[in-house]
Amino acid sequence: MVGGSGEVVVPRNFRLLEELERGEKGIGDGTVSYGMDDGDDIYMRSWTGTIIGPRGSIHDGRIYQLKLFCDKDYPERPPTVRFHSRINLTCVNHNTGMVEPKKFNILENWQREYTMEHILTHLKKEMTASHNRKLAQPPDGSFF
Amino acid sequence: MANSNLPRRIIKETQRLLSEPAPGISASPSEDNMRYFNVMVLGPTQSPYEGGVFKLELFLPEEYPMAAPKVRFLTKIYHPNIDKLGRICLDILKDKWSPALQIRTVLLSIQALLSAPNPDDPLSENIAKHWKANEVEAVETAKEWTRLYASGA
Repeated sequence: MVGGSGEVVVPRNFRLLEELERGEKGIGDGTVSYGMDDGDDIYMRSWTGTIIGPRGSIHDGRIYQLKLFCDKDYPERPPTVRFHSRINLTCVNHNTGMVEPKKFNILENWQREYTMEHILTHLKKEMTASHNRKLAQPPDGSFF
Repeated sequence: MANSNLPRRIIKETQRLLSEPAPGISASPSEDNMRYFNVMVLGPTQSPYEGGVFKLELFLPEEYPMAAPKVRFLTKIYHPNIDKLGRICLDILKDKWSPALQIRTVLLSIQALLSAPNPDDPLSENIAKHWKANEVEAVETAKEWTRLYASGA
């Protein structure tokens, strides 16, 4: 890879196609996954992510659904990320389920190379972080 | 200057695409990314896509020309080898790619694919089924979609 102005930049749509194909193959141990919401949307904007709560945490066995929205400026700008399943984390708005960029480093310090997989993997890590571990959780299967 | 490290081969191909465009095909690089092309392909005469103007996007990955360009349709099209996201099932974009091929040959092959849909190697199962069960009707649908989505308006 050549640095600086010579760097090869994968345009938005081809980048999202790569992410789609990676998502379809299945990632790692399967505890995070994602897929496109509308197979007819040529711009691939709306996605659903799933995180299975980490073992040994209060989230163990729970299945969390999230909505990710990749606008036209993705991946220059991060997607908006919103939990559909209710969850209590310091970076998640209690009323809307929105992941607040100011409280979630991956979104706050977004870089073009980051992917939806990064976001989901780091949210899973958040679930076991010390500042979240003691938080009481809403009933399993409830939604924002 | 952006793209100052663009390989000579890509520069040459781009110049030729602009100065001697293939009939019914135009391809021009984006201002901010010389590896990313806006492409227009006219539907070939005698095909269900005749009269249509089809928009595509093409990207030359870092490995090009050792790897094939990435291409997809942005205009909706009813064709057994093209899926809903505009992805194209064409051997030279996959295992039959050779660095002897060029952007021009790829686009000519795509244009030829519009003249010769191949429902035996489908990417869109439903469209391929339709094509095999009732070709006359499938061709009608393809013409209809061309009018609806590719009129260039």
